[in-house]
Amino acid sequence: MTRYDTVIGLEIHVALLTQSKFLCSCRASFGAPPNSQCCPVCLGLPGTLPLINEKAVEYATKAGLALKCNINHYSRFDRKNYFYPDLPKAFQITQDAFPLCNDGYLEYYVDDQLVRTAITRIHLEEEAGKLIHSGESIVASEYSLVDYNRAGIPLIEIVTAPDIHQPKQARLFLEQLRLLMSYIGVSDTKMEEGSLRCDANISLKPSGSPVLGTKVEIKNLNSFRALEKALEYEEIRQSQVLDSGAKVRQESRTWDDRAGKTVSMRSKGDAPDYRIFPEPDLPPLNLDPVWVELIAASIPELPLERLNRLEGEYGLSRYEATFLVNYPDFGELFLELADSGLDCKTVVNFLMGDYARLAREKGHLDSERIAGLFQILDERLISQTQAKEVLDALFSSPQTAREIVKDKGMEVVGDPERLRPIVHQVLEANPQLVERFKLGETKLHGFFVGQVMRATQGKADPEAVNALLQEELVN
Amino acid sequence: MLRLIDRQEVIRMARLARLELSEAEVEQYQADLTNFLTSGKKLQKVDVSAVEGTSHAVSITHELRKDEVGSSLPREEVLSAGPETVDGFFKVPRIVEEQE
Amino acid sequence: MRNLAHLLETRQVSSREIVKHYLGEIKQQEPDLNAFITVDDVGALAQADAADMRRSQGNPLSPWDGIPIAVKDNISTKGLKTTCASRFLSNYKPLFDASVVRSLRDAGMPILGKTNLDEFAMGSSTEYSAYGVARNPHDRTRVSGGSSGGSAAAVAAGEAPWSLGTDTGGSIRQPASFCGVVGLKPTYGWVSRYGVVALAPSLDQVGPMARTVEDAAILFSLLAGPDPKDATSADARNFEVPFWDDQFVKDLKIGVPEEFFGEGLHPDVEKAVRRSLRTLEGQGATLVPISLATNDYAIDTYLTLVTAEASSSLARYDGVRYGERVHAADSNTMFSKSRAAGFGPEVKRRIMLGTYVLSASHYEAYYEQAQRVRTLIKLDVLDAFKQVDVIITPTTPTTAFTIGAKRNPLEMYLSDLFTAMANLSGIPALSVPCGTDPKGLPIGLQIMGSHFREELLFKVGYVVERSAAR
Repeated sequence: MTRYDTVIGLEIHVALLTQSKFLCSCRASFGAPPNSQCCPVCLGLPGTLPLINEKAVEYATKAGLALKCNINHYSRFDRKNYFYPDLPKAFQITQDAFPLCNDGYLEYYVDDQLVRTAITRIHLEEEAGKLIHSGESIVASEYSLVDYNRAGIPLIEIVTAPDIHQPKQARLFLEQLRLLMSYIGVSDTKMEEGSLRCDANISLKPSGSPVLGTKVEIKNLNSFRALEKALEYEEIRQSQVLDSGAKVRQESRTWDDRAGKTVSMRSKGDAPDYRIFPEPDLPPLNLDPVWVELIAASIPELPLERLNRLEGEYGLSRYEATFLVNYPDFGELFLELADSGLDCKTVVNFLMGDYARLAREKGHLDSERIAGLFQILDERLISQTQAKEVLDALFSSPQTAREIVKDKGMEVVGDPERLRPIVHQVLEANPQLVERFKLGETKLHGFFVGQVMRATQGKADPEAVNALLQEELVN
Repeated sequence: MLRLIDRQEVIRMARLARLELSEAEVEQYQADLTNFLTSGKKLQKVDVSAVEGTSHAVSITHELRKDEVGSSLPREEVLSAGPETVDGFFKVPRIVEEQE
Repeated sequence: MRNLAHLLETRQVSSREIVKHYLGEIKQQEPDLNAFITVDDVGALAQADAADMRRSQGNPLSPWDGIPIAVKDNISTKGLKTTCASRFLSNYKPLFDASVVRSLRDAGMPILGKTNLDEFAMGSSTEYSAYGVARNPHDRTRVSGGSSGGSAAAVAAGEAPWSLGTDTGGSIRQPASFCGVVGLKPTYGWVSRYGVVALAPSLDQVGPMARTVEDAAILFSLLAGPDPKDATSADARNFEVPFWDDQFVKDLKIGVPEEFFGEGLHPDVEKAVRRSLRTLEGQGATLVPISLATNDYAIDTYLTLVTAEASSSLARYDGVRYGERVHAADSNTMFSKSRAAGFGPEVKRRIMLGTYVLSASHYEAYYEQAQRVRTLIKLDVLDAFKQVDVIITPTTPTTAFTIGAKRNPLEMYLSDLFTAMANLSGIPALSVPCGTDPKGLPIGLQIMGSHFREELLFKVGYVVERSAAR
């Protein structure tokens, strides 16, 4: 069996998080009742004209800069003409000949190796409306229902070079792209809401051959997992076709998640003829270089940059740093706490441990209150064992850690004079065990400590208890 | 009559433009397209090497619109002109093909 | 119009009386003329009453508050049927006013109704209207021209004091010429296109049509100005109606392009135009022979571009959100049948042509080539204005032709022979009546100027108008 190289390219649509739509001032939010966020312009009523949303251009430029692209100060809009019920004007306003950005890249780790995927181009375009089908699939439906709320939402289309070599890498790329978009705040990238969509192109070529194979387009990928699985399926399918001596057919295939396979879409015969021509209703986009500079300056620390910094400057492991980068809210917290002087390892262990579990359920605490907890631990006001209870309380009360401890009377009791009677009580209550300890069962020490803790509702300072037990038992 | 454009091409154009044509119309437009192309041949010969195309007769610059939400139409108005609506949606018959 | 305004101001006549007068004219002449598709008596009278109320309280919205107007039926009027003379939109009522209509309402002008046109503004005679041809008031066996035939005829026949038309390749000027009224195609971008049903966005413009040059200038002053809703609208200052100026003719250089006076031009038309030119010369203007050789390509370039843009502009008529839907079992068939039933033959023809020139295999050879020839035409025109201030030509090669005379579409397109150049280059062009032919049919003279020089066109127009009146 010949070995094949897999070649994958992705086409990603990202909905930009502007308040209003791309070409009109209707609200651009998700989940409103159907057709309640429409106006003559986005409905394509006769005589209406588009108006470019400045923020959409800003966000698109920001995305381009974050992906290290060349930003074209001159770019232009075009009409892409085709008929479909979700397309109000029967043409889509897009950028075909002169896109906003080109020639960028994204770097990310695949199995601890840093790889780079080239971005060929990024351009602005408008979203179409939403269709709901009466049946299981489009073609099996007697009718469909159209909602134009999404029609006119600004999108950027990001096209990668055929630079990706395995399905897993494609998924990782998409995850990193998603993360990047959310870091720069241009999109909420929710695949389930349609603000992030991905189509893939995949072809196989004989290993080492410079000639690319026939590419197949895969559509209807609704999750990162679907992307990976569909590409894995295609790899196998195409290699089987090639192994049998046949040619792979150039076509579009849809991913059937339930069946776990790609299915050929009905062939339309010719390639679509979009009759693209320059949009006469819009002037070209001429960006002021100063404006672009300002946008560049507003870009925050990007995921890979932060990863490198967390590893390099804060001494975290790849695993820890990756967690903090992937969950930037945790990342921010970490930085605030670490920068305030707390020990990095302690902080990261804390954040990734008990804190994460609670925060996921109840939301984050602010760094000050967390720092307060660390502070009282440092002061030995409470013991490590008490820390969990205080942490829990921090999530349900607005008080500081110190206040909570005070209120609950949880201060550690460390005074030997207060503890001594209790230690005596415990030892007198368990004479046989004391005997057994003196005869060598040293692990009973823990039992005695536990009993003291019980008697003091956990408030006894373990160190003091140990010291007292030492005294008493040795004698 | 010399046809500069074949019947298949005419039918393809009609399909692209979503126009159902009768046989007579197909013939008519085949003739019209032929006339147009014949007359338009003279344009082909013009030397345009020195210029770019004009999309806008007068050079236009326009300030971009600020990202502020304006009012949308009330839903009843949006649907009011719709030939067929159901539960707040526009209804269309079976969509035979995936989007091009 | 100043007289009328004065009468209103001095309360010698009320808006209601004025509107009633015009509605009466319409009622009397309409079955015959067919200049109107929709007449809004109820609305117009109500608007007139509102105007009278404002006048009685001493706050008119403008000097023209209460003077009615007719609007071409491809310009959106909220709540009032806007059909574009098409079956497809036979019951369509816009949910908003076009910006130009807004301007009319802001000035207090009642809208008498919507005038007839060639379907979707495609045509030169109004014969392509789904509601029948608009007849020429000077001779009812003849066309009033197109596509703004209804707007021209209404003004010529006294059914409306003035009107709005649209011009993509000559659609204001040619009917103005045929009907003996004044019509202006403004500089591209000076009047908002928002709400004007698009034919070819890079060529379409809305313009005034009126009985006198001054009235056209007054109406234009209400329309001209930037509109934030239209990204192609020019950031130009508002227009002020120019005054009669005795002196300026002496310094005027008038370009007379030989290509517009050659074969195809009817001798009667030539005679009238040359007579006006001589008058201007007599008053001190210098006639400069020039050459606009690229006009030879104007029609073909225009046809390529207008059909291409039209095929795209009209694609939205699919029967999903509005319009007359023909039901079918699947969407594609529904689109095809609805459009086939809703559109007339000329609209279909242009869509077919436009689809062809834009299709992938032909794009470069046809559409892109035409775009580039357009640049050559524009440069040729701008070059001419380095030598002259205005260019004067006949508006059309002939006077109004008889209904049914032009059976061949290509022949019909030749009506735009002298007018298309202005749309392609974006320059303003004014048509002014300059005489009649032996049959009494009006002849129009076209004055073209460089971008945003409308005031010059009107000033020359005053002179032509005065001399033609003698």
